[in-house]
Amino acid sequence: MEAEKQQCPRCHRTFSTRKRDSLSHTFAWTIAALVMLVPANLYPMMIYYSLGQPEASTILEGIATFVQFGMYPVAIVIFIASFIVPLAKIVGLFILMYHAKRASKLTVKQQGQLYHIVEFLGPWSMLDVFVVTIMAAVVNLGFLSSIEAAAGITYFGLMVVFTMFAAESFDARLLWDAQDAQDAADASANSDHKLESTQSDSLKPDSVNTASKREIS
Amino acid sequence: MGKPAVSLNNLVVCRRCDAVLTKPQIEPGQKAICPGCSAMLFELKKNPMERTMAVSLAGLLLFFPAILLPMIGVTAAGAHNEASLIDCIVILLNTGYPIVSLIVFLFTVAIPIVHLLAAFYIALAVHTNKISRSLFVFFRSYHVLDSWTMLHVFFLGVVVSIYKIVELAELTIGGGLISFVLLLVCSTLVSITLDHHYVWETMEQAFED
Repeated sequence: MEAEKQQCPRCHRTFSTRKRDSLSHTFAWTIAALVMLVPANLYPMMIYYSLGQPEASTILEGIATFVQFGMYPVAIVIFIASFIVPLAKIVGLFILMYHAKRASKLTVKQQGQLYHIVEFLGPWSMLDVFVVTIMAAVVNLGFLSSIEAAAGITYFGLMVVFTMFAAESFDARLLWDAQDAQDAADASANSDHKLESTQSDSLKPDSVNTASKREIS
Repeated sequence: MGKPAVSLNNLVVCRRCDAVLTKPQIEPGQKAICPGCSAMLFELKKNPMERTMAVSLAGLLLFFPAILLPMIGVTAAGAHNEASLIDCIVILLNTGYPIVSLIVFLFTVAIPIVHLLAAFYIALAVHTNKISRSLFVFFRSYHVLDSWTMLHVFFLGVVVSIYKIVELAELTIGGGLISFVLLLVCSTLVSITLDHHYVWETMEQAFED
């Protein structure tokens, strides 16, 4: 394609029709995140010393402590941010990669929304790392009580960074390609596209046509 | 370079659903909304650059107390301890967690500072009309850094820690936390006030002549 070597007139960056090897990169980062997820949940995140007695707690044990104390709102926030979100992100990335390969029952709009949710959630799972960082620095009263970070925090932090890289390297346009391939297959496309923006319809690139059709579905 | 086949000046692409639409004409103070996903396409603001300069400068000044002053402290049985954001990072480094320490440093100190500096520099350059080639690199990097600043997540972390500490001991809130909250407000305001379309259009026009 001749657009390959053109520059964007606005930000002066070279155009690329698709990110290179996007799927392979996303796959690699997601696998790396999945590997990190295991030690992140098995190793303790922090150790609480009370009168010299160490008490290590993993992510789930930490949440269980909150539930014991009846602090349900905090328990729910931590549970969502450090357990549900990382898991959902990895599952979401696998779903996206699967659908980039073959057309699916999900509409492109739904897949796009899934992608943006995965992207948006990224930073929030960092919450537990920050909490441990703060607790380890603040709760430091010598023999009486003190908190230290533990091995799990490194794996957890890396896991979050890896999922963010995975989402970043995923090219959302691959979802269109899969859909377009299917559209071409069942070319019996009905002609009832009630386009709102008729001007854009007459424009040359076919991406414009598919884009305006898509927003109505 | 080569001009694209279709004039791009009257087209706008939705940043959320990637729909390509004809650019509507709007008055200053109005917003353009995507008909497909209801995301805001762009808006026109009145004198946008001055506001961005003001809040980004305020944010940069607030950074010093926010990371150097103690954020929260604990007191129990006569013993007292407090820590600033920098203390948190240094303690992680000293107790053998260099990777986590680096991650926290990048996401809560380094990237937010560069982000604010970039916003200030861009606003200043556009306002004084001193537009150089390097500004394109700056503004592109600004967009990339957008998703890597985690001041808001760190703040939620502080709130959760406060909940936890209240169970254990008596809690004090330091100037660091107050500065940090103000910094968070400034950094959010920078993202809201910086008018991307205005900046791009000004830069584009500067290089057309």
